[in-house]
Amino acid sequence: MSAPNCLRCLLRPSAGIPVSSLPRSTPFALVRAAPFTTTTANPRPKKEAQADGKPKNHTRAGKKLKLGKFKKEKVGDRGRPPLPGERKAYRKRITLSNDNAIPVPWLTDLGSADLANPANMARVMALPVELQDQLRASEAFKPTQCWGMFRKPAVLVRKETVDLANRMQNAVDKRQTLRLVVTGDKVTGKSMMVLQAMAHAYLNNWVVIHIPEAQELTTACTEYAPIPNTDPVQYMQPVYVLKLLQAIKRANENVLARTYTVNPHPELSQSVPPNTPLLALANAAKEPDAAWPVFQALWSELTTQGANRPPILLSVDGLAHIMKISDYRSPAFDLIHSHDLALVRLFADALGGAVQLPSGGAVIAATARNNAPRTPSMELALAQREAEQARAEAQANGLDPNAVEVPQKDPFFRGYDDRVEAVLRSVQVLRVRGVDKLEARALMEYWAASGMLRATVDEKTVTEKWTLAGSGVLGEMERAALLTMRI
Amino acid sequence: MPVNIFGAAFHEQKLVKKALESFYALGPQTSARILAKYCIHPRAKIGTLPPKTVTALTAELSTMTIESDARKILQDNIKRLRDMGTYRGRRHAMGLPVRGQRTRNQIETARKLNKVERRG
Repeated sequence: MSAPNCLRCLLRPSAGIPVSSLPRSTPFALVRAAPFTTTTANPRPKKEAQADGKPKNHTRAGKKLKLGKFKKEKVGDRGRPPLPGERKAYRKRITLSNDNAIPVPWLTDLGSADLANPANMARVMALPVELQDQLRASEAFKPTQCWGMFRKPAVLVRKETVDLANRMQNAVDKRQTLRLVVTGDKVTGKSMMVLQAMAHAYLNNWVVIHIPEAQELTTACTEYAPIPNTDPVQYMQPVYVLKLLQAIKRANENVLARTYTVNPHPELSQSVPPNTPLLALANAAKEPDAAWPVFQALWSELTTQGANRPPILLSVDGLAHIMKISDYRSPAFDLIHSHDLALVRLFADALGGAVQLPSGGAVIAATARNNAPRTPSMELALAQREAEQARAEAQANGLDPNAVEVPQKDPFFRGYDDRVEAVLRSVQVLRVRGVDKLEARALMEYWAASGMLRATVDEKTVTEKWTLAGSGVLGEMERAALLTMRI
Repeated sequence: MPVNIFGAAFHEQKLVKKALESFYALGPQTSARILAKYCIHPRAKIGTLPPKTVTALTAELSTMTIESDARKILQDNIKRLRDMGTYRGRRHAMGLPVRGQRTRNQIETARKLNKVERRG
């Protein structure tokens, strides 16, 4: 038996290849040079191998522990990193039209009296372009709402909308102030109700001052400074007020240009003689430092009795945030109550009825359900007002008013806030619930006409979606029908 | 453009709170109080501070025992123990655990920190 390997030359063929199959013609010298050395036939110069000071020929060629061998290779170029604020701007961007959506032919633009007209109930109506600009300037649109799905922004006129618009109109006719809190469950359309109130106000040439997110004022994320000569000390928020002033200026340009000052304002650095347009007064604020005095001057001009003033709408979204102790601290390291922040106090006074608006107007606050701190006083006060309204209604209908129980304070609970109760003592409460089936149908027909709902809108579909949405909660209907792609 | 507070330069995008806490012996409690004293909101960046506030902050910090003053106090305390010849002083000098821990293993922290001229 012959050994598989050639013993003379220790030439080791790979298994399975018979020795005889090796090429005979290989020159002897070359074959011989290879097998007796472990180095390569043409070794690299040694200096190069040790260039970095580490001997390389001591590394074993065998098994090596390689950590993270299953990790993916890093991609070399990830492109330009986003600039500061770029991602937030993308997250918060508001798209109001979608060119891929089908234009709805029967959609009519809102007119000045349309939101108060009961004939428009359960109709979808479009926002005119100038109104869109005004609403956008005052940040009434929110990124969570589905504006970007349709050709034109449009709103559903609900029973509550007509009710609210009528109440606003009545208040202005009597030169009174409507003080109202919009409340309701999650995604029922509270912010949309505020938007519709603002739309009504803009269309009727009111001055609208809107605080889009109350939390921006009280979560200690904007600059604050004590206002000199106030007792107890109040705090201004110059940067926020400057932003608000610019928003007011852009949104109410026409009305403010037609309204003129009646009082001199010596406290301002820029001289504003009487009979200057309010727009010029608002323009006087260029720096955050000057913003609060200018805002105060503007507010005092707008609320001057006896002069020819437009009605005013003050609105805020996320009421709970300005009905609690803020996250700001005073120089003595005490937490500041929200109502000691001057802008919030102005709003709270108006909501509490301490401010008399010259031509009437409305103060409308909406609660938020997704992002709201616990405010026991506000919750209790709203429940009480609602129960009192139900009592009054029962009495008007000839029913027993005592059947409705007004909730009382828990005597063993300490977290109530007297200042909040004082503000909410006499407000009206508008509870927003789910829409009824007629309104749901109008809305779904609009969705279908825009090509966003790929189903025939009949009794069955409407009832199905209406039920899925917990008896017509609007946001849930959107989730059930609009945001789920069923093609 | 960097802003100088108490001799240290900070980038204008840095949070004021973080900038204050970068000084030795100035922690979250003190920085929160300093911020409240000058009515600076907790999320303020250095770049948004008016120059007046920056100088006021520097003046405020210069009255406090921070940085080298605070380190000196610490070192003096250890030195006092050492000079008295106490057990704690000796253990500090030897770089061994001071509070009765066993030294068979795991005394890295003591080796690192326990010195007469402790850094901080």
